[in-house]
Amino acid sequence: MSVWQLLQTSFVQNAFYAVTAVSLAAGVVGYFVVLRRQAFAAHAIGHIGFAGAAGAVLIGLSPVWGLLAFCLGAGLVIGFAGTDLDDRDAVVGVTLTAALGLGVLFISLYSGYANATYSILFGQILGVSVSDVWLVAALSAAVVLASSGVFRPLLFASVDGQSAAARGLSVRAMSIVFMSLLALTTVVAIQIVGVLLVFSLLVAPAASAEVLTRHPGRAVVVATLVALGSSWLGLFLAVWIGGPVSFWITGLASTLYLVARVVAALRERGRRVAA
Amino acid sequence: MRDGRVDLSGRPIWQDASFDVEGGSIAVILGPNGAGKSTLLKSVVGLVGLSGGTLEVLGDAPHRGDARVGYMAQSREADSLTSLTGRDYVGLGYDGRRFGWRRSRDKVEVVERALELTGARPFADQPLRTLSGGQRQRLALAHATVFRPQLLLLDEPLAGLDIAAQAEIVDLINLIRDTTGAAVMVVAHDLNPLAHVVDQVIWVARRQVRSGPLDEVVNETTLSALYGHPIEIIVTPRGRRVIVGLEEEFAHPHPHGTDHRHEDAHEHFAEVYDEVTR
Repeated sequence: MSVWQLLQTSFVQNAFYAVTAVSLAAGVVGYFVVLRRQAFAAHAIGHIGFAGAAGAVLIGLSPVWGLLAFCLGAGLVIGFAGTDLDDRDAVVGVTLTAALGLGVLFISLYSGYANATYSILFGQILGVSVSDVWLVAALSAAVVLASSGVFRPLLFASVDGQSAAARGLSVRAMSIVFMSLLALTTVVAIQIVGVLLVFSLLVAPAASAEVLTRHPGRAVVVATLVALGSSWLGLFLAVWIGGPVSFWITGLASTLYLVARVVAALRERGRRVAA
Repeated sequence: MRDGRVDLSGRPIWQDASFDVEGGSIAVILGPNGAGKSTLLKSVVGLVGLSGGTLEVLGDAPHRGDARVGYMAQSREADSLTSLTGRDYVGLGYDGRRFGWRRSRDKVEVVERALELTGARPFADQPLRTLSGGQRQRLALAHATVFRPQLLLLDEPLAGLDIAAQAEIVDLINLIRDTTGAAVMVVAHDLNPLAHVVDQVIWVARRQVRSGPLDEVVNETTLSALYGHPIEIIVTPRGRRVIVGLEEEFAHPHPHGTDHRHEDAHEHFAEVYDEVTR
């Protein structure tokens, strides 16, 4: 089968729709992850989700429900307790270790074939079914819609908490809203790229965007484009050359970040020479 | 404020605070580190509730989100964390609390007017983290004055600035007061850069609050009574006031320093002078 015929198979097309939906949500939420310096929380939520997935498999449910329950639960805890930068790291770390401990217990109790939990770790992009695509698309649409609706207040609370509070915003409520959006995005992204590589879509594209642009709206657009570009191209390369899709997506996203840094550095130098 | 009192986690910060700040006047809030100067501002803006007494702000009980009150916090994450531009930051002062998708039509105009007033337009499109301290303070002032507040609350607007930048910001505060007629309350470490524009001094120390015209508060009798031991005020030939005798509470900007008392009077004076002119 040629690469073009492969691209027309339903499993590649489902994967294409799924990465598109995920990239859209990850671009918007990723911008705030980078802005709020909460990469550690994004990392933790993924691993916490893994414990939830293992628990769901243990009691005979689909891993998605465990992911949803644990990610959202952890998101609420971290959002509520970690409003200021000082104690956020500690809250995230403690929540993470508590969940991972449970994950170890769940896996040791589970005697069946651990394939389901394995795919949670590394993603199962080419095994995405039509119903998965619909779920992913619906959750992503909800995340994008909600994020754009709270965009200004979330931005305000993120960049100047004191003055936002003085203007009548609840910084804690915004922190909870953000963590919930992050949890939902993580649940969606894990289906595609897995726990270990959630970062590639949540952090790398937004980090590239933050290096390249200043305006918040533009940064979100750039982050989304970088996420879309790396996941589309990654999917194509995996079909064409072979190898795991998540490897290609991660590799491309990190490479693009490097490129963004180089471009920004050159631009800065050009400006200095001009001035 | 009448007989105001604030407790934080069960500990009284200050009590029996009574003062008025007139429209169009500048009140500077002075006192040692940790005395509750910022808390005083926060009580006015509604971020900290009074544990006793009464407080009226522009005819109402203090409440967060009052567009007639502008507040500039001491530290802002935006300054170092983000590549946000000054213009976007000032814009958040205008519609940052608004949810939803609607854009406001007059935002550009209002933000532009605030940038104009504070002289921040030339560098408004650069990322905040690349700007100097003085430039950031101008943008923060634009952010706080975007609604032309009747009461402007500034927490340490001179902190971390060199003497020239301090003078510029003081002139700007004075200009904002003159053009908008707002009452301004400024928390400061050092009276001297503000002395020529100040109408009123509010001194917070040892859980007490004293308020009055500059010479009524910043004199040896009042301060000695407030601190419970003799205070000396030296006026330098250029008219700067150096306050001596506050070794425990005022002279040392670093409360975690090892030894708070100095035997050497000379060194002591140098420290005090450093504090007062910083």
